[in-house]
Amino acid sequence: MSFAASFAAVLLAVMLVGGSGMVVAGAGARDDLSGVVGLLVLSAMVSGFVSVFVVAGMLSLHVLRRRRTWALLRSVGMTPRQVRRLVTAEALVVAVLASAAGCVLAVPYAAAMAEFMRMTGLAPTSVPVEVTSGPFILALVVGLAVTLLAARGAARKAVRVGPLEVLRESAAQRRLLSWPRAVSGAVALGGGIALLFLVPQVKAVAAVPTGLGATMALCVGASALGPVALRGMGRLLGAVAVRLDPGAGMLAGSSLVAQPRRAMAAASPAMLTVALACTFLFAVATGDAAAGVTRTGPSAWAAPMLVGSAVAYTVISVLNATAMTMTERTEEIRLLRTLGITPRQLTRMVCWETLTVTCAGALLGTGIAAASLTALGEAATGRPWFAYSVPQYAGLVLVCAVSGLAGALTSTRKARHGSLRHDG
Amino acid sequence: MTYGKGATEVAALRQVSVAFPRGSFTAVMGPSGSGKSTLLQCASGLDRPDSGAVRIAGRDITRLREKALAVLRRDQVGVIFQAFNLVPSLTAWQNVILPSSLAGRRPDPSRVRELLHRVGLAGRERHRPAQLSGGQQQRVAIARALLGRPEVLFADEPTGALDRSAGHEVLALLREAVDAFGQTVVMVTHDPQAAAQSDSVLFLTDGQIVDVLDRPSADRIGMRLGGRR
Repeated sequence: MSFAASFAAVLLAVMLVGGSGMVVAGAGARDDLSGVVGLLVLSAMVSGFVSVFVVAGMLSLHVLRRRRTWALLRSVGMTPRQVRRLVTAEALVVAVLASAAGCVLAVPYAAAMAEFMRMTGLAPTSVPVEVTSGPFILALVVGLAVTLLAARGAARKAVRVGPLEVLRESAAQRRLLSWPRAVSGAVALGGGIALLFLVPQVKAVAAVPTGLGATMALCVGASALGPVALRGMGRLLGAVAVRLDPGAGMLAGSSLVAQPRRAMAAASPAMLTVALACTFLFAVATGDAAAGVTRTGPSAWAAPMLVGSAVAYTVISVLNATAMTMTERTEEIRLLRTLGITPRQLTRMVCWETLTVTCAGALLGTGIAAASLTALGEAATGRPWFAYSVPQYAGLVLVCAVSGLAGALTSTRKARHGSLRHDG
Repeated sequence: MTYGKGATEVAALRQVSVAFPRGSFTAVMGPSGSGKSTLLQCASGLDRPDSGAVRIAGRDITRLREKALAVLRRDQVGVIFQAFNLVPSLTAWQNVILPSSLAGRRPDPSRVRELLHRVGLAGRERHRPAQLSGGQQQRVAIARALLGRPEVLFADEPTGALDRSAGHEVLALLREAVDAFGQTVVMVTHDPQAAAQSDSVLFLTDGQIVDVLDRPSADRIGMRLGGRR
């Protein structure tokens, strides 16, 4: 399950990066398409960033989930170095296979994107898709490098704890933030804020890429420092859940407060989806409004569709991440059942917890997008204002919540309905 | 009670008929694979026997649906396993009141405090399981079981993961639950010292009850076990 998820994450990442690269290369070669190249580059940027983020997150979850295996190998005498090599080798196999498959799928994906651009009238003529080596090399390098880096980082974490310590796994996390994590988070956050101030200063063409860059930097910062914010939000949202549903709500809220890092792993993709999609969509809308352009018919769908595949990708990762964090809870769910939680209460608990986590992620994402968009509005119109669409925003949040719920409910299905028999 | 199908089918319990009187402390012993855990799981409603009936306070629980079984586990049965009895994200206090919260009741805080004090955990109400020792965790589980005043408290190797002194404290608490609260306790164990705390010991072999000893000493239990081997 978690293998499949990592495989899918890398495959889709390579497909997105390779495909967008091909379309950009094809459009860039034609003078009559120069108008849309900027937008294409932006959407490719979003795709690339999302890919790196999701693959890294998915792999570290995967390695952490298997830490019992590593601990077991350590306890039978494997050295930390051997464990690290094993983790890396495993990741490499996944990365190579998934990247190869992703490259194959990148060609039809690029063709579909080009066709869609012609249909919506975004491009005046059809975009030629050229199968050149450039985008493939880029995608492969991104896929392999990110996979390996993420695996190495996670492997270091996996071997740092002693063999017994992991097997005796404690729920209370030792530290909320490690120093490297806190420092890199603070640097990213600082960089993002600096970019926000730069947005109104740079040339008009560079404003949107700078704004998008600010959103990305803020996302990295927020996901590193997120556990701290999430603990606070967990208390707040958890209190609401307890009010509405005392028993199940207490369980849902407490797991967020006790395990903010695990919760952040599940909240990050939702944050990313909302932050990036809102920045991209509403930046285009703000630009149009400032220029007095009204898009109707198929062209109104151009921007949403361009960012659509990246959104689809993050949504899948919302589902995956929720599913992975929930599978860890199998033992706890069985315990709750022996204590007499009713099937309905259990379902409600899983739903409350997922909704709390997804909402917290979406709230962080909203905050980030609002900051970048305000800066962009300032650049475009001179006022701290930006255009937005409530239906599009609500749709995004809803999609995140629904896919989170789907992931959580399917991954806990067996634990919720299976036999309670203990072996031994 | 059988596990598996066809050639791999294993009968874990055969024609076992046993009653646990109210307010008694019964130990169940036997070699691994003798069916003692299966007996406990069937009796506590965690598993269903293929045939026969399990009655708790006169009611047959083998035909109950999932919801009714959950209510039964919450209100009438307490279960303590060897380890992992507590929800890791909840504090000791929250773990104790969990079954009541699930039932939508608000237990009397002074009674919760008194119970935690009684099991020797005063001042640790806000600790999470990871901050407690194995023995302390088991004692939280006992406090939780006692708060609900269940018809019967089942314990599956409750001292199996503890050192001798921590195990002794847990056993003393179970004994006290019987003597002071009139609680019914059924405990699976392989430790003659633990079984010596009980009022009677059932010996299981190959899914059948082969012997019963009343008020046994640890030595007699040891001899009984030794005799079988």
